[in-house]
Amino acid sequence: MPDLGYAAILTGFVIAAYTAVASFVAARGRVGELWLSARNGVYAAFGLTTVASAALLYGLLTHDFSIKYVAEYTSRSQSPVYNFAAWWAGLEGSLLFWAWLLSLFSVIVLVLSRRNNRELIPYVSAVTMALLAYFLGMMGFAMNPFETLPVAPADGMGLNPLLDNPGMIFHPPMLYMGYVGFTIPFAFAIAALISGRLGSDWIRASRRWTLFAWFALGLGNLLGAQWAYTVLGWGGYWGWDPVENASFMPWLVGTAFLHSVMIQERRGMLKVWNILLIIIAFSLCLFGTMVTRSGILSSVHSFSGGSAGPLFLALLAAVAAGSLGLLWLRLPALRSDSQLDSLVSRESSFLLNNLLLVGAAFAIFWGSVFPLLSEAVRGVKTTVGPPFFKEVTGPIFLALLLLMGICPLIGWRKASAENLARNFLLPLALGVATAVLLLALGMRPFFAALAFAVLAFAATSILLEFYRGVRARHRGRGENYAIAVPRLIWANKPRYGGYIVHVGVILIALGVVGSQMFATNVEATVKPGETIQIRNYVLTYQGLTSYTEGNNEIVAATLDVQRGGQSLGSIVTSKSFAAGREEPRTDVAIRSDPREDLYTILSGWSEDGTASFKVLVNPLVMWIWVGGAVLLLGTAIAFWPDARAEARLPVTERVPAKGMRPSHA
Amino acid sequence: MKSEQGGLRLRRQQAVETLRKTATSRRPSLARPQFLIAFLVVFGALAFLGYNAFKASSMYYLSVEELLARGDAAYGEELRVSGKVVEGTIERGPEANAIRFAVADEDGASVPVVYRGVVPDTFQDGGEVVVEGGLSRDGVFQAGTLLAKCPSKYEPEESKQT
Repeated sequence: MPDLGYAAILTGFVIAAYTAVASFVAARGRVGELWLSARNGVYAAFGLTTVASAALLYGLLTHDFSIKYVAEYTSRSQSPVYNFAAWWAGLEGSLLFWAWLLSLFSVIVLVLSRRNNRELIPYVSAVTMALLAYFLGMMGFAMNPFETLPVAPADGMGLNPLLDNPGMIFHPPMLYMGYVGFTIPFAFAIAALISGRLGSDWIRASRRWTLFAWFALGLGNLLGAQWAYTVLGWGGYWGWDPVENASFMPWLVGTAFLHSVMIQERRGMLKVWNILLIIIAFSLCLFGTMVTRSGILSSVHSFSGGSAGPLFLALLAAVAAGSLGLLWLRLPALRSDSQLDSLVSRESSFLLNNLLLVGAAFAIFWGSVFPLLSEAVRGVKTTVGPPFFKEVTGPIFLALLLLMGICPLIGWRKASAENLARNFLLPLALGVATAVLLLALGMRPFFAALAFAVLAFAATSILLEFYRGVRARHRGRGENYAIAVPRLIWANKPRYGGYIVHVGVILIALGVVGSQMFATNVEATVKPGETIQIRNYVLTYQGLTSYTEGNNEIVAATLDVQRGGQSLGSIVTSKSFAAGREEPRTDVAIRSDPREDLYTILSGWSEDGTASFKVLVNPLVMWIWVGGAVLLLGTAIAFWPDARAEARLPVTERVPAKGMRPSHA
Repeated sequence: MKSEQGGLRLRRQQAVETLRKTATSRRPSLARPQFLIAFLVVFGALAFLGYNAFKASSMYYLSVEELLARGDAAYGEELRVSGKVVEGTIERGPEANAIRFAVADEDGASVPVVYRGVVPDTFQDGGEVVVEGGLSRDGVFQAGTLLAKCPSKYEPEESKQT
């Protein structure tokens, strides 16, 4: 089996390299037969990465400990689900997982675009296959997942108990789908640059891919946040660690890209910017993989990488230099079709949104790589901690939320004063009322009240947008309100799906503001019968129990919880020690309701039954997860095929606005 | 669909026309004063934000040897120090939530540390840690933050030791 897998990787490498060259030559010289052969090459590459993956999975699931990778990440006692998840647990396996996803996506691109974008697709295949060849080459010649051990051990080491969580099954593959997903719009952009078809075709053809990659990355991060929150036992969900930042940056730039392509589709502007954004987003995806896998940035998530660092750096440099060079060559052909008409227009607000998103990504990038820079320049390592990231991104994100509320209220091209006054009245009034009310109720700091006011403003603005659409349907078609809502959404899925995504983001922001600004905690050491007070909670410590479960030793503390004198039942928090492992696993007790989470950690105990706890009250955290679900719903709606949007696609061609020229014949 | 040749010529013509029009009638939109000013304001605000936050939260990131080499300069500074927990030095107490241990470099320079707070699960004898805090006059590093490398996130620690 390991031989078969390794052979598949090497053959796949040759096929992918051939296909990359053949696709390119076929597209340049318009050689039909060669393109047929290259198409088959894409299918064959997918077949081979699938064979390699199947061989690895077979080894993982059948405990073939002669394979080093299998021996390192699985064990006989580990459940099959986690043995399967070991596919992406280590460096070599995750490279294979990446390659498999990339070849799968390449095939899907071919299947979905059999009839359209004939000029772009061969170039797209050339780019994806070149990348695939690089990844297969890395595995074939430097990081072989099928490396065998001279003597197969009797049992494998298995994953760390901290990974024994559903998070391990969903979080890494989601992130990888996001990282690899961004390859496709990037490949389309490169195809547009090479072929000279620089209109909006590449954007339309890759819109769903961008949406998919963006969503997978966002959801991957949210799943990671929830995993950290429920397992690691520090009461937080985001630590501004370089590895976390690395997956957040491409998401931010991807968000900017999703918005700015709308301007190009509608007005034929920002062409250079869009290509630049997708190049940056994809480069950041590669950078993220590199940071995760090479350990060049000091992170609490340490991963040994071996030769992964230099190889990724070389790839990153080649991708950045190649694509930027290509962009520079095409610069003269990337003129805008139209001009910005007014500072107060939807275009301007999109532009500002882009500036802020990229600015946030840049600040995070700067903060993450600063230790390296300062060491190189000044010889002393200097770091910035979470306060830096919070202080910089907090105001930027708040401005973005404000913009999210402003944007639907102002029209395209140029907004008139009376239109502005009419649209802004209600959201602005509600926003101001929120601020005044919260401040009057004694909320401090001022920034928190401001943040809630902005959220109220943005939410009202979006709801108003729904209300206007529904009212129009009610009046025009006599639909009752209950029917008009889903029909309105269904009639223009990209638009209303997008608004629903915005609602999700507002809910997430609500949770983040609440938990970042108003979390409190106490640490206390108590004897049985004593109480811990936090906010209006009273926790009465009942005592410790210890027992054995499987091969885990578990020490559990029980506490009775009262809030405002009312009993809420009891909670249990524990530490479990797996046999043969030094580090324990803390199981925190989280009592969650829409208002706040009561988060209790057992931190230590002594023989006489005295125990130490850390107790946190994190307000509004539940809304982060609810917001994530709304985000999922909105993205699914925006992703759904939309007949009207498809019919409306050639907007620039069919109805050229005043002063605007068709971008191409 | 027009023939490829005709399409190309048409496109080139349009490109030339657009160029001429832009050159004569208007300056590129982003270079007009109102946009330039707006752009500068946003950019300036971002830079200001970044600079302030940076000044407030940057700190030295040192190895134990570098910490000791700072001598008296190290007192009162907010520092971040990384190293390995010296095996067998972990002690609980005297307070219930306090833990004492020594952190050392590869080459042996070590410093005693007191940390008060919840100990992360990944903290262990011989493991890599990052502590944040300051050196007190008695030469003990008072840590307010203890980060233990999460070796296990994807890679079990055991595999690196064998």
